Amino acid sequence: MTQVATPQNPSPDLPHEAYLTALASLDQVGPARMRWLLSFGSPEMVWHLLRAGKIRNPPAQLAVKPPQLTEWIAQANSADPQQIWSACCALGVGVVSLGSPGYPPALAADIDPPVVLFHLGNPDLLSSPSVAIVGTRRATGYGLRVAEELGAGLAEAGVMVVSGLALGIDAAAHFGALSVGTSGAAVAAVVGSGLHAPCPVRNRKLASRVASSGVIFSEVPPEVSGAPWRFPVRNRILAALSDAVVVVESPGAGGSMHTVREALTRDIPVLSVPGPIDSRASEGTNRLLSDGAEPCLGVDDVLMAIGLGGKKANTSASSPIPSQPDTRPVPDETGERALATIGWRPVSVEHLAARSGLEFQQLASTLAWLETHGWIQRTGGWIERRAKPDGSERLGRRPT
Amino acid sequence: MLAEVPSATLLGVEGHRVLVEVHVGQGLPGFTVVGLPDASCREARDRVRAAVLSSKLKWPDTRITVNLAPTHVRKVGSGLDLAIAMALLGASKQLNPEALKGLMFLGELGLNGTLRPILGILPLVDSLSAGRVVVPAENLAEARLVRPDARGVRTLSELVSALRAEEPWPDPPVRESTSGPAEAYCDLAEVQGHPVARRALEVAATGGHHVLMVGPPGSGKTMLAERLPGLLADLDARGAMDVSRVHSAAGLLRVHNGLLTRPPFRSPHHTASLVALIGGGSTLLRPGEVSLASGGVLFLDELGEFPAAHLDALRQPLESGIIRVARANANVTLPARFILVAATNPCPCGVGQWGECRCTPGQIARYGRRLSSPLLDRFDIRLAIDPPEAAMVFASQRKGESSMEVRTRVERARMRAQERGVSSNRELRGEALEKFAPLSDQGRMLLRSRLETGSLSMRGAQRTRAVALTLRDLEGTGGPITTDDLEGALLLRGEEQQIGVLA
Repeated sequence: MTQVATPQNPSPDLPHEAYLTALASLDQVGPARMRWLLSFGSPEMVWHLLRAGKIRNPPAQLAVKPPQLTEWIAQANSADPQQIWSACCALGVGVVSLGSPGYPPALAADIDPPVVLFHLGNPDLLSSPSVAIVGTRRATGYGLRVAEELGAGLAEAGVMVVSGLALGIDAAAHFGALSVGTSGAAVAAVVGSGLHAPCPVRNRKLASRVASSGVIFSEVPPEVSGAPWRFPVRNRILAALSDAVVVVESPGAGGSMHTVREALTRDIPVLSVPGPIDSRASEGTNRLLSDGAEPCLGVDDVLMAIGLGGKKANTSASSPIPSQPDTRPVPDETGERALATIGWRPVSVEHLAARSGLEFQQLASTLAWLETHGWIQRTGGWIERRAKPDGSERLGRRPT
Repeated sequence: MLAEVPSATLLGVEGHRVLVEVHVGQGLPGFTVVGLPDASCREARDRVRAAVLSSKLKWPDTRITVNLAPTHVRKVGSGLDLAIAMALLGASKQLNPEALKGLMFLGELGLNGTLRPILGILPLVDSLSAGRVVVPAENLAEARLVRPDARGVRTLSELVSALRAEEPWPDPPVRESTSGPAEAYCDLAEVQGHPVARRALEVAATGGHHVLMVGPPGSGKTMLAERLPGLLADLDARGAMDVSRVHSAAGLLRVHNGLLTRPPFRSPHHTASLVALIGGGSTLLRPGEVSLASGGVLFLDELGEFPAAHLDALRQPLESGIIRVARANANVTLPARFILVAATNPCPCGVGQWGECRCTPGQIARYGRRLSSPLLDRFDIRLAIDPPEAAMVFASQRKGESSMEVRTRVERARMRAQERGVSSNRELRGEALEKFAPLSDQGRMLLRSRLETGSLSMRGAQRTRAVALTLRDLEGTGGPITTDDLEGALLLRGEEQQIGVLA
């Protein structure tokens, strides 16, 4: 069981996590600034030095301007670590610090470990093997589907799925992993905002599901809201907690690519899901593949990368999508024509009608048939062709 | 010395008969108007006095009391000027009261004694029963639409001479508006591509279904919407009267060959105020855009830019076809039976294509949330509109069907709806749907499976059924609703969440 300091501690000897929380609550304090502050002594000592204004001359690379330092001093003088600590404990958030017994070993061995870590849920569930599934927030239907299938497949295989609880790919991966239910592995998330200031708010429900069947980590005190700079910073924890990183869809630059860099510095294998070469959502993933990343064509590839897929390796090599045979009924001539016209990029009904030359009634019936039998998927006003059957029940519940 | 002359005042789009009573009696010289006149009506005092004096008539130097009965109805505007003047001349014996018998007067007076046209002549004249109506010459064409025996006059002195039988009645020629109403409807034949949208417009025109179009700028949403009125059948006698009344009350009726017979098309800008949209105002209770569009099409471009309160105010008229405007001292019901066509961009930046669009997912979600789901629910047809591909535009030199061809089909199909006792299939609900739109066995199964998977709500299923019935009507064959009809209706219905970025 994790040893969590409790608020029952009498005020004179607060645990040093309380002072760490207070320091992390200061405006604009990230891991690097935290490390500099702690170079002055124990958290408690730093706190008192800060109040007395005795912490000066920040190194240039931290870019701490004098007004910022004055601000910290003012904040330290007006804030009460005791109060911050009891507020934190009252929210049911667990706190562990580097070096304390409950601190995740995977992070303790990392090159850039967070000094203090807040968590919701049960951190003991954190297990090996684990795989991070990351990707763009603005995913296509294809990306969402793949992320969800990977999430479900990995959870089923007993692999802990780690993700960032962002919109798009992150959420889809979590949904997939949670859809397996109790028979699957637990899930973990690392978020860039405080645990009680969820960001994005739209994933709040999903966050509470993750917390109840897994664990959510954050290095930000519970009520500090997410700032844009905090999200790339948390990506290093995401990478550090995983045995492999799978990028499902990502544009050329962005948070996912940042996670990939963090993984590469830690020598963690990176897998990339191929996509259409003219889709902007797959620009980054395709680039990774051409740069030599391992291609991810299904769950088995991921399992193999983390050393679990020995048995299935052969099938994986012979057929890229071995999971299940295509059981969908074969479409008739009109259906084939419609499918060929749709191609592999989303198309509007209007374009489809114009290109295929099908009459309205014929088009309506054909599309209804194709949708019922899992050949196409409708999102908003657009139609997308589906390469694989299955998943339709799950997809119905997926928030976008 | 008492005289009374009938006239009328306007409230909403209805005329209300008003009896103007004038008493000229002993007392200090003075002139009071009683009987709930509003500001512009009370100003009649000064206009009437100046007009009477300018027309070389005598102003009685005694106490003059004007009463406007019934006194509980608020009288608005300057239309009672002429009636007050005539009653005054009668009461002061400058006119023989016998000469005023059987005449009713409407019109505003200028200080020099000329008669000026007023708003809402059509409903005003319509509300006056037996007798001949005298109106300003410029209102004559409009008055004759309902009263062929209406008389027009240009000045007060001209009218007095005629009543004194010194001169014959002037009877000025009826001047109709030369241009006619803005009838330049655009033709559907000009639309390139858009095969599904064309069909959707035809269905909307037939069944009166509301249409939502989502697409980037330049994709042809406005062009398509403008062509919907051209597909609607001519208004029947009653419809023409209703539409003309509303336009008259708003001062927008240009008389040209009788009543308005083509369905109106209104496209208010999104900065329009709530009163401009819904109707009202503190005294006049003027019809708003929803009433002006009644019988035709109301087009709301950039739906997402309209304030949420304005959009939610549209829900009552969308549901019941009327709008009730209540003020402290009046309560009117205005017609509001229109086809709503709305257009919106897929996202705030308008591009709507992954990679090109610069909106964050949060922005897009917020943009989508602006439209409340009860409002979105009322659109039976929801289309994603794309700009047609250049290759398609030049490949199909073949022109599409013209509006007239489509209109013939629409008229024929709409007759079927009228046989059911409603003006359009949109109005069919619950039991009526069950009765007039029976489902084939397979059709029932299709709907049930959609309900079970949750891709269709209960209300959605009902609406789909109504659209399917319209498709059946267009087909021209009777019988139960087939899967084909339902599939067509489902295609037109699109998804609940149409707003978003094309990935």
